[in-house]
Amino acid sequence: MNRKVIVMLLCMFLIIAPGSSVANPGGNGDADRDYSCGGSCHGDPSLSMASDATIDITLGNEAFSGQAVAIHVTVSDITTSSNGIIGLFILSSLNGNSDSPEDHGWNLIQDPNGGSSNYIEMKAPSSGSTTVTWVLLSPENSGSHELYIQIHHGSNYGKAYSGVSDKFDVNVQDVPEGLPGLAIDWVAPSFRVSGDNSPLSISTRNSTDIAVHWMLEGEWEPNLAIVECKSNSEEVCNDWEASIPATMGETNILYRVTTYNGTYSIEQPWLKMGTAPPPFEGEVWSARAHSFAFALLIISFLVTLQARLYPVNSRIEFDQTKNVTDSSLVPSDDSPGWLWNSETEEWVEDPEYLRGNE
Amino acid sequence: MMVGSATFHTAMAEIVVGSMVLATICAVGCSMVRLLTISESNNEALMVTMDRASLAGSLLALLFLPIVILSGNIAADGQAESALLYNKFVYSGLALGFWSAFVIGRLRMGPGLWQVRSLSVLQSTTAALAFLMTSMASSIGGKLVRGESLFDIFPFWLPTDTAAVLPLWASASLLILGMVTAVFVFKFTLPKIERLEHS
Repeated sequence: MNRKVIVMLLCMFLIIAPGSSVANPGGNGDADRDYSCGGSCHGDPSLSMASDATIDITLGNEAFSGQAVAIHVTVSDITTSSNGIIGLFILSSLNGNSDSPEDHGWNLIQDPNGGSSNYIEMKAPSSGSTTVTWVLLSPENSGSHELYIQIHHGSNYGKAYSGVSDKFDVNVQDVPEGLPGLAIDWVAPSFRVSGDNSPLSISTRNSTDIAVHWMLEGEWEPNLAIVECKSNSEEVCNDWEASIPATMGETNILYRVTTYNGTYSIEQPWLKMGTAPPPFEGEVWSARAHSFAFALLIISFLVTLQARLYPVNSRIEFDQTKNVTDSSLVPSDDSPGWLWNSETEEWVEDPEYLRGNE
Repeated sequence: MMVGSATFHTAMAEIVVGSMVLATICAVGCSMVRLLTISESNNEALMVTMDRASLAGSLLALLFLPIVILSGNIAADGQAESALLYNKFVYSGLALGFWSAFVIGRLRMGPGLWQVRSLSVLQSTTAALAFLMTSMASSIGGKLVRGESLFDIFPFWLPTDTAAVLPLWASASLLILGMVTAVFVFKFTLPKIERLEHS
């Protein structure tokens, strides 16, 4: 009876246990995503709650059409689950689909994690407040453009939390003819491999010259990088290479491009570039051979061990060789063809002698 | 209706892990019954049941393991682009080795092996290590797909973030060594082992 009760309780525990767990507590990773969570936990009213966080958006610089603009987002007073992960979306509408800024004419130059996604995940600091920055190229058409920040995160009570900022209007102004800026199709590199000091390629438009300032994250004094034009055009140059020193470990480097054209001098937002570990050098065929080699070696070792531990008595029962070699059958010159068995004290026929005569 | 290779791989892996949990619990159970001799009355029936369950579980797992490895290969798109993925290959090989040795031992020596204390300990340890290696390989899958695994909650974690990468020639040499060793081992140990029946 007791055994049945234990089994029943165990089964009930196993059935109930998954229900108390949470989906994707490790996050989903940075990507371009719509906020199309309508039917899932963060959007489902029965499973989610409104986030307690406060979201503020500020503009880093004036927005001109086609020019880079920094969007600073401050999330404060947030309570998260033990792993502290927050997911942040930058959106241009709250429709739930086709709501990425890129669907509304913006172009993502860099996200707060160094990539170029409209959705990022990050760890909330213990203070419960953090500021992150997206760098975008403004839409070509001037006027008012909406931006929203939507966040989601977990909690220690197993609930999914979701929050959205108020509408943030960015007034994009027309630009004078020939205003220099970053190229629309240029994406700032997120990482450079550790120790790589190859020059950084920068694409611009309408620029006759550029200046690149850089500094390590945490420093205050920027350094001027050497820049070189890579195109043969006489009037404007839009392909540049900047020599920024190599970084090691987990260092982030910040850099800012200033574009010039005649009297125009436009300071672009600061951009961030991380340091990536060297690429993994393993080959798939090496991994396969390595795997099967280990399999065969383990089998060989364990089968040898099994043979070694196999009971000695059983071996002796099957192996009669020792008995034969140890037997005390002694040939005699006086009686050829016969052997003297000293144990039973009697003569026995010698099979070898008989075989020899045949 | 098509199923993605990653989904198929997950489904197959679940079959393997489930079967292996059964096999491991029963193998360790057989060993415990032998070592502790809890109750004489039910021991025989219990031993027979657990022995058969462990054999059935491990055979099923061993049958599906190559499918899991193959579908994992396809899901990984024939790449070993990170230390995690490389280690997944290596742990899969270790799991295959331990489970094969477990099944070979049980089939060659018969159910009587549980009566021999040293063999019983060896067999249950093999099952436990096999399960650990299988869990490691599965957990790496979780790490790759979801960025987390069940092993995150344990205080220990076998190395997965760094891999002892061998060049192709070294892996190939190791594979040849493994094959030669296996041939010799089977050639020289086969005559020595007979089935041990229950006493």
